[in-house]
Amino acid sequence: MLRSGGLTPAPMKRRLASSLAALLSAAAALSACQGSEDQGPVNLSKGVPVGAVLALTGNANVYGQDQKIGIELSLAALNGAGGVNGKPLSLSIEDGGSAEPSANAAVSLQINRGILALIGPTLSQQSFSAGPIAQRRGVPLVAPSNTATGIPEIGYFISRVSAQSSVIAPLSIAKALQLNPGIRRAAVFYAQDDAYSTAETVIFQQALTAKGLKPVTVQRTQLNDQDFQSQITAALNQKPDLVVLSLQAMDGGNLIRQLRELGYRGAIVVGNGMNTPNIYPICQKYCDGILIAQAYSPELQTPANQRFTAAFAAAQARNPKVSPIPPQLTAQAYTAMQVIGEALARLDRRQPLKGLPLAQARKALMAEILGGTYQTPLGEIRFTPEGEVIQKNFFVAQVRMNAGGKSGRFSLLP
Amino acid sequence: MEGLLQLLFNGLSVGAVYALFALGYTLVFSVLGVINFAHGAIFTMGAYFTYLLIGGAVGANGLLAGLQFPFALPFWLALPLAGIAAAAVALVVERIAFRPLRDRGSDPLLALITSLGAGVILVNLIQLLVGAESYSIPVGTLGSLPAALSIAGAKVRTVQVMLLAISALLLAALSIWINGSRSGKALQAVSEDPVTAQLLGINSARVIQIAFGISGFLAGMAGGLVGLSISIAGPYFGIGYGLKGLGVLVLGGLGSVPGAVLGGLIIGLAEACVPADLSGYKDAVSFGFLFLVLLVRPQGLLGRPQANKV
Repeated sequence: MLRSGGLTPAPMKRRLASSLAALLSAAAALSACQGSEDQGPVNLSKGVPVGAVLALTGNANVYGQDQKIGIELSLAALNGAGGVNGKPLSLSIEDGGSAEPSANAAVSLQINRGILALIGPTLSQQSFSAGPIAQRRGVPLVAPSNTATGIPEIGYFISRVSAQSSVIAPLSIAKALQLNPGIRRAAVFYAQDDAYSTAETVIFQQALTAKGLKPVTVQRTQLNDQDFQSQITAALNQKPDLVVLSLQAMDGGNLIRQLRELGYRGAIVVGNGMNTPNIYPICQKYCDGILIAQAYSPELQTPANQRFTAAFAAAQARNPKVSPIPPQLTAQAYTAMQVIGEALARLDRRQPLKGLPLAQARKALMAEILGGTYQTPLGEIRFTPEGEVIQKNFFVAQVRMNAGGKSGRFSLLP
Repeated sequence: MEGLLQLLFNGLSVGAVYALFALGYTLVFSVLGVINFAHGAIFTMGAYFTYLLIGGAVGANGLLAGLQFPFALPFWLALPLAGIAAAAVALVVERIAFRPLRDRGSDPLLALITSLGAGVILVNLIQLLVGAESYSIPVGTLGSLPAALSIAGAKVRTVQVMLLAISALLLAALSIWINGSRSGKALQAVSEDPVTAQLLGINSARVIQIAFGISGFLAGMAGGLVGLSISIAGPYFGIGYGLKGLGVLVLGGLGSVPGAVLGGLIIGLAEACVPADLSGYKDAVSFGFLFLVLLVRPQGLLGRPQANKV
């Protein structure tokens, strides 16, 4: 049997060349197809088409599941109120996995379906990869949970309802120092292969330095790491009294558990990646006491938030094991869907969607999204011309676990 | 001294899991000459079996949403039972992904693809049944044992010590079985030359089944132990260990049982030796080390050079 790579015989080279040519032609034909799809009118046969790409599998699935609930609740609320001027919104959700290639594929698939706008992807890392696809195809993309610096800067069609780390992260550091004025030594952990983590840790480290607390150690991990014994023991040798994590829920939850098991008793501040009740089963009783800044409060007394929290509690009542209090990611995903729904209604009143060319409708929708003011569960929000969210209210919460350590809540601090 | 001991503990506790994982690869490789790429999925299943047997409930997703056994076994009992269940899965993999090709006299390399396919199917089956969310074995599963131990100033989680001890126990039991039992010697004979072994009256097909069963048992136990130590990060969490186990297998020497143990411990220690500031690069360091060793000893640390057949 020939296993060697050797020199390729000439006939094989010709076959290779012709196969390559055929492949290129097919790719060209496919891209031409996509172009012509975008030129046709908006397809309203099954409702006003909107898509979402969420991390429903892989390490980030804990976020995607929170988001799916929010988007579906928002869709029900919008359609219950008449949809887009009498036309129901039709939502398709695709699993974007937890990596960039899967998100790219899901975004392309959704765009090829002829959707008017897209919610997602879940991770900043994914948006840096898939955002340019939406930008190139002229499809409004509203990111519900990306907090890394530079997301709206991907292009005109990219916006987000999730406030960036630089706005939120310093609040939790300030709160930790307020609660524990004796803190002198901070240890920092972040995942070096994740855009969110690397962006947020810079903000955290700047905030610490501004408070006169230069980190005594900075430990780098990787997104898929699960055993942190080496990094933790190295950090504990520096005797920190504050640990600051920029990690996702899975790795962050595991790190907290191992950190506490190895005897660390000081304060822990975590970033937005752990802003989900799905951390409870991972770090269990050890989640208790961690501080986290939030862009959402379930206690916000506005009609929009009361409607949302009531709808969430009603939906979760079917599963008594799930908390009836909505997490931030669900509220943000609800908001993203609401923004798109309301912008579509305004656009339809200005320029009826029926018969409108898809590309033109998408472009006009983006202008509507950026131009609106929205009363959402997050409070009143609007956008900068670049697509960055402008939000008024931010909070700091402390995780409080129940006696059995199986469930808990994000308790807002005054 | 304290730092050195800490490093040793960190390296050995991780390395023991790698060794346990790689042993499963090694057993199958020794009798068939191919790598069972479904091994990572069987490891994952072992973790899920353990979780369910100790009374864990399936989450809100998947066909089995909300399922919970009406009993909750202690971890000490659940772990070997999960190993047995994983062994049963490994036997099914052998039956559907390896045996048909072997019976037809196909190139053994084709089994790489069929085992990879079986692994992908198993992972997707897990997702279909119990969803993609993560599951955790409760913190108090080990009863009143302390969360961490302090040994001569070095700190190590109790679960890591347990993991190291159980791995060592399993490795010792395996060595005794291979060298001291009739079926273990039959396995050695088949790994030397399956045709000659058959001529000597050894039932090669049976030996191959035993190798798969033990390999699955080890994978299932390793999965349950890792699930206890960290958490079960969804159906894909065995993939990372699968890759590392592959590296360990090659480093130790393909088909060498002591090599798999040595390779696992060396990779674990190499990772632990990575300076704290560069800890995010530990995979690069361990695979770089593997690369360097293979340049000098292509057959791995304890492997035998391949004889060229004309």
